[in-house]
Amino acid sequence: MAASQRAQLEASNVRLMKDKAARWGITFGGTLVLIALLLIFFYLLYVVAPIFRSVSIEPLHSFTLPSHGKTVALGMEEQSEIGFQFDDSGTLTFFALQQTASSNWQPGQVLLQQQVVAQPTAFAATQPQNKRYAYAFGNGMVQVVEPKFRSRFTNGVRHTSPYLDVNEHSPISIDPQQRKLVRLAYEYQGDSQLFAAVTDDGSMIVNLLQASRSFLTGAIELKPKFTELPLTKAVDDVLVTPDLRQVLVRQANRLSIFDVSRSGVVTERQTLTVDRRQYGEVTSMTLLAGASSIMLGHESGLVTQWFEVASESGRQYKYIRQFKAGQSAIEEIISEFYRRTFYTISATGEVGVFHTTSEADLYFGKVANFHADTLVIDPRANTLLVQANQQLHTFVLDNEHPEVTWSGLWQEVWYEGYPEPQYVWQSTSGSDSFEPKFSLVPISFGTIKAAAYAMIFAVPIGLAAAVYTAYFMSPRARKVVKPTVEIMEALPTVILGFLAGLWLAPIIERYLPGFVATLIFVPIAIIAAAAVTSCLPSRWRQQCTDGRAAVMLIPIVIGVGWLSFELSPWVEQVMFGGNVREYITNELGITFDQRNSLVVGIAMGFAVIPTIFSIAEDAIFSVPKHLSQGSLALGATTWQTLTKVVLLTASPGIFSAVMMGLGRAVGETMIVLMATGNTPILDWNIFEGMRTLSANIAVEMPESEVGSSHYRILFLAAFVLFIFTFAFNTLAELVRQRLRDKYSSM
Amino acid sequence: MISVTPISSHTENLDLANLSADKTALAIRDLSLHYGEAQALYDISMKIPKHRVTAFIGPSGCGKSTLLRCINRMNDLVDNCRVAGEILLSDKNIYDKDVDVAALRRRVGMVFQRPNPFPKSIYENVVYGMRLQGVNDRRTLDEVVERSLKGAALWDEVKDRLNESAFGLSGGQQQRLVIARAIAIEPEVLLLDEPTSALDPISTLTIEELITELKEQFTVVIVTHNMQQAARVSDQTAFMYMGKLIEYADTNTLFTTPTQKQTEDYITGRYG
Repeated sequence: MAASQRAQLEASNVRLMKDKAARWGITFGGTLVLIALLLIFFYLLYVVAPIFRSVSIEPLHSFTLPSHGKTVALGMEEQSEIGFQFDDSGTLTFFALQQTASSNWQPGQVLLQQQVVAQPTAFAATQPQNKRYAYAFGNGMVQVVEPKFRSRFTNGVRHTSPYLDVNEHSPISIDPQQRKLVRLAYEYQGDSQLFAAVTDDGSMIVNLLQASRSFLTGAIELKPKFTELPLTKAVDDVLVTPDLRQVLVRQANRLSIFDVSRSGVVTERQTLTVDRRQYGEVTSMTLLAGASSIMLGHESGLVTQWFEVASESGRQYKYIRQFKAGQSAIEEIISEFYRRTFYTISATGEVGVFHTTSEADLYFGKVANFHADTLVIDPRANTLLVQANQQLHTFVLDNEHPEVTWSGLWQEVWYEGYPEPQYVWQSTSGSDSFEPKFSLVPISFGTIKAAAYAMIFAVPIGLAAAVYTAYFMSPRARKVVKPTVEIMEALPTVILGFLAGLWLAPIIERYLPGFVATLIFVPIAIIAAAAVTSCLPSRWRQQCTDGRAAVMLIPIVIGVGWLSFELSPWVEQVMFGGNVREYITNELGITFDQRNSLVVGIAMGFAVIPTIFSIAEDAIFSVPKHLSQGSLALGATTWQTLTKVVLLTASPGIFSAVMMGLGRAVGETMIVLMATGNTPILDWNIFEGMRTLSANIAVEMPESEVGSSHYRILFLAAFVLFIFTFAFNTLAELVRQRLRDKYSSM
Repeated sequence: MISVTPISSHTENLDLANLSADKTALAIRDLSLHYGEAQALYDISMKIPKHRVTAFIGPSGCGKSTLLRCINRMNDLVDNCRVAGEILLSDKNIYDKDVDVAALRRRVGMVFQRPNPFPKSIYENVVYGMRLQGVNDRRTLDEVVERSLKGAALWDEVKDRLNESAFGLSGGQQQRLVIARAIAIEPEVLLLDEPTSALDPISTLTIEELITELKEQFTVVIVTHNMQQAARVSDQTAFMYMGKLIEYADTNTLFTTPTQKQTEDYITGRYG
């Protein structure tokens, strides 16, 4: 007796331990899932966060240069190890900026100093990335200079040293009349060089020097094309564009744009007067990186951006936007090498950092309390060299992602060359002067568009199938049908996408009328067949059980589909002039892509149907039988019971089925990737494709540089996708809970 | 042996075997029912009188619920169910091919074992059957709701919360709501399939009193496990065993002087 009681006690101890183990196991597993989710969430945020960090400028070194004259230009080498200075005595000085792994350089230590020309009369710098400079001297002569750096590796350590080959460029005479040049602008492209200069008698000269190979000697000769432009007023600024096609001349607030043809013929294109009252006196002018935009600094502290926009009279420079850099006149605007970031120096010595396209005010103020006279940014845009009172200061600049702002991601942005502000996603291109366009609007829209078309296709079919299977089908047929549809879910979406893109899309394109007719006439034929059946004599009708009815519908569906496709070419011939695609494009003015939303809707709908079907079917099937019997017992027909009681009771489940389907459609990648054409457009047109967040990440992640703005924005896209699904699921859960409270049966 | 004091002793005894047509609500003739190969009912013949409460008793699986469900053809919903014989309602065999089942069920209402209100408001539950018939006139519906709920002795309890969910009611109230829903469409016959088996004793008592009132307007057929209940509420009782109708008589007679041994064994508690 005592033994058996003890045995009972021990057994219950074991059970207690099992209970405990199960509870701990389940708690542990659940917590782990939550932690994993949170980790994903925070990792995404961690990668995304730097794009919204503000600019920081930290002082590094200060030093003085043994210079002969006033600085006319500063520069830095790629690694920010060596700087150089051009002064107004015609001397180029290379100096160390910091100690390096291979040297004991002191900041400011002169590495090389060389006289380039004597008594220069004017100076010009090319766009930063072109790295050439030019001194005008004597009577209409120009000397081009290119500071160069040599790197060699010993024992894996890099040694960089500056060198200057004065004989690389021989002096060129650009003014045949040999006048003294007081202002100079210079650019080159390959062997062609374009000079624009103002002479001491107030004339404006333009000279395009094109290289050609001599037939006889094989030597390269420079063929000049000289033009003189009579100007009445004093010139304040001259710029030439790096494509050698435009000369920009500023006389106070008047801006004249001259076109230079390939052969060097100069014609005036546009004269632009900057409104004094609106923006104030113009005090400086620079080309932005990419040389499509003119940046004007004003006396009022405003900086205005102007670029060419297509208008009735051709492409014209137009006011685009403005930035406010303090209250005092903008003395100098310095543009970065590759990005649309620019730096301003105010008359009162403040430095401003701005990004044009994102309209970001990144920094404004005196750096380390210095009154800045001029500054230069290194090619990698992480070191700033500032001259203040004959002293030079280097600063570490942290400005990784100026092009990304919250408003730029979600609002219309006016990009260079675009006729108006737009939502654009265009992350890369072949050209260096290209500016990445990161608007998340088109790809978020694409996600919604793809999901919407998929749902239009999937919800009616999925729900109708679920209702039929759960409510009307015989239990024997249901046992076969339900698992079969559910197996569809296991079909790899890459196969669906592949079939949709390569097989379905061409068929739809070729037989569009037939396809549309099928979508319309098959349901009509099914309803017509049902109507005919109900008119048959009751003796026949009783033979027509549910299973037989379904079998009888098969030839009807196939027949109508076949007929639609057979008649397709004929319909096309008669109604659409032989080619529907051309008809849609030309007559209706609707763009038609082969891989369009229709294809995606069908393919992704196909992928979503099993999800919707399975959950909705379960929900309808699990409506308690006593509810439907209660309704039937009150004299309701099967259909009335379905619509008034069963669907109502199953509504939480049906709703979650649709939301689960939507969640799947939003996150789906392979199908949209392969069947959409991936064009990021903002258009509901069913005959055009789209680019979704998920496909965008899949396409661009392999080609984006780790840590770049592009990379981080792709993570942001992933985060947005995460929020999308999170929002959908939360909403679905909330609504479902409410519906369940309302309609749950005991 | 249990002692039974019928409360319906005041009703006159009827000659059930030779009931005249004007007093007959339902006449069941040679009714047999098969579920696939298994036979569940064997040649049942009986006449159910109008405005009386008829109880079906018998042990579990004896076929009393099946017989009840034959009367409004709920068995049609069961696969492989075949019915032979006839049930006459106003001289019309309800198993004829031209019978509209929905129309039949409007004339023969049914209340189930478990309360099954729809996930709607109390009001909408009661007018459900009316709306099915296309009645949407608010005034008519209001009248129906009040009449039915009063008829089901529920009006006083719910008249202030007609638009609240029916799930807020207690089990007994829900069952009375279901009865109100059934009588709202004014059927001729009301079938009650163990209506109190899921309820507490007090709710059971309320429903039993209600059943006695309902027979003024309706012919009531009730299936019950509870012999005291059959004795308390019914005017005549049919005892069924193994799919056969063993004995059918006035409740008084059946419970006091059963003619069959099986009936006596059952009501004295020897099996079942």
